[in-house]
Amino acid sequence: MSQTTEEWEPKIVALVCNWCTYAGADLAGISRLQYPPNVRLIRLPCSGRINPFYIVKALQHGADGVLVSGCHPGECHYISGNLIARRKFAFLNNFLNYIGIEADRTIFTWVSASEGDKFARVIDEVTAKVKALGPATRLIKTD
Amino acid sequence: MNDIEKNIREEAKRLLDENLVDLVIGYQEGTLPLQTAPVFISSGDEVDKLVFNSCCKQNLAIYVHAALKQHHQAQERVKPEDKKQKVVGVIARGCTSRSLVIHLQEQQYLREEIVVIGVPCSGYIDKNKLAEKTDGAEIVAGSVDGDTVTVETAKGTTKLKLDEVLAGNCLTCAYNNPVISDFSAGEIPARDCADEFAEVDEFAALSESERWDYFSREMNKCMRCFACRNICPSCYCASCFAEQSQPEWVGAGINPSDNQVFQVMRMFHMAGRCVDCGSCVEVCAEGIDLRKFLKKLDQDDQNLYGHKAGVKLDEPSPLASFRENDRETFIFEPE
Ligand code: SF4
Ligand code: SF4
Ligand code: FES
Repeated sequence: MSQTTEEWEPKIVALVCNWCTYAGADLAGISRLQYPPNVRLIRLPCSGRINPFYIVKALQHGADGVLVSGCHPGECHYISGNLIARRKFAFLNNFLNYIGIEADRTIFTWVSASEGDKFARVIDEVTAKVKALGPATRLIKTD
Repeated sequence: MNDIEKNIREEAKRLLDENLVDLVIGYQEGTLPLQTAPVFISSGDEVDKLVFNSCCKQNLAIYVHAALKQHHQAQERVKPEDKKQKVVGVIARGCTSRSLVIHLQEQQYLREEIVVIGVPCSGYIDKNKLAEKTDGAEIVAGSVDGDTVTVETAKGTTKLKLDEVLAGNCLTCAYNNPVISDFSAGEIPARDCADEFAEVDEFAALSESERWDYFSREMNKCMRCFACRNICPSCYCASCFAEQSQPEWVGAGINPSDNQVFQVMRMFHMAGRCVDCGSCVEVCAEGIDLRKFLKKLDQDDQNLYGHKAGVKLDEPSPLASFRENDRETFIFEPE
């Protein structure tokens, strides 16, 4: 990339549940809350539908950070999708860090449909964290 | 012939002669010194081929799965009244029995489709350690007598202590007797073993970049032959993500990133399912340190969910269950 570090803006992939975080993002928009434009939201039916491979593939294809967000425990539309997902994420998050992927590259959180302000704050902070890390260099596929 | 061999041969003969099993899967002498190979016995006259010693490396559960899956598929087109059950007997040491438990938990076959001939096991010889001790010279003959391994190479004869060449997973294995069995060929006291996670803790204490350097260096050696996947009893899917093309999870070609992604995904599939049998390490022609990474998942399984792969039949695997109050310290909360 020809950009200097000062102007470098991270690309963040956000894998989010349709019923909560995606609606939370909508609410943030309707409420005219400002948050950094670095995230690309990918809407999925439930955090339980987030194949952990999506996270790995996002990193492989150059995401500087991956945010995963679903309904709070106990509030999943499909009752326990997020509770099963939570275990998968715990294993994956620890494992990725263990092999040397920076801890802040993958971030997991819960944001409900009524938490527009939380959504904006999450994006603010996640963007700042990933910016502090600098561009991703590990697991990336280069030709 | 040791006592254990005598016992398993007698039991295998009885099972086959009385038609209680259709097949016994065990170990036979290999064609190379200090090696054994799997053997599939379907007649009581052949049981003298069976051996059991410290050169028995393979986890035989994968063959039990293959034999029964093949049978199930063949039975699909048979009229209900003509359906037959196939029963497979297997020589099972600790880790093999744990893999059988995983298959049973994952409903791959029924308990009555297998007969577990349990054997006590105090470990097998690691080919990489052996090669190290003999400077990589070709082994022309070898024998194990009690605690001494005698290896003959073109350069001369070496005597080694068995413990020096046992596989790393065997040295920390406390499952020296099978966790399930229908017949026991003997029992030994459980090994008073070293901390199985010492290596994981040591690695985790390195910096992120040191860990990444090690991981990527190891994965760079991988030629994606998939031998590690093929030998693993927990990797039994008929179609594997590694060969899928839509979506293409793992790119064809030799990009190092695809090696990394392949192993991250394969190992992730082992969360709560790897019994630390060491078969993948044993078959890897590149000598990749897979265990260092697999053990991390094992450690998390134990620390986060108090689970140990394949030890208890009635304990569900961690990714097939949950608790409402599972630890979620990794969940991010904005300020
Ligand atoms: S056996 Fe070794 S070289 Fe072959 S795919 Fe597995 S890790 Fe790679
Ligand atoms: S991943 Fe390796 S050590 Fe674990 S069960 Fe499979 S073959 Fe055995
Ligand atoms: S529906 Fe939102 S996490 Fe399951």
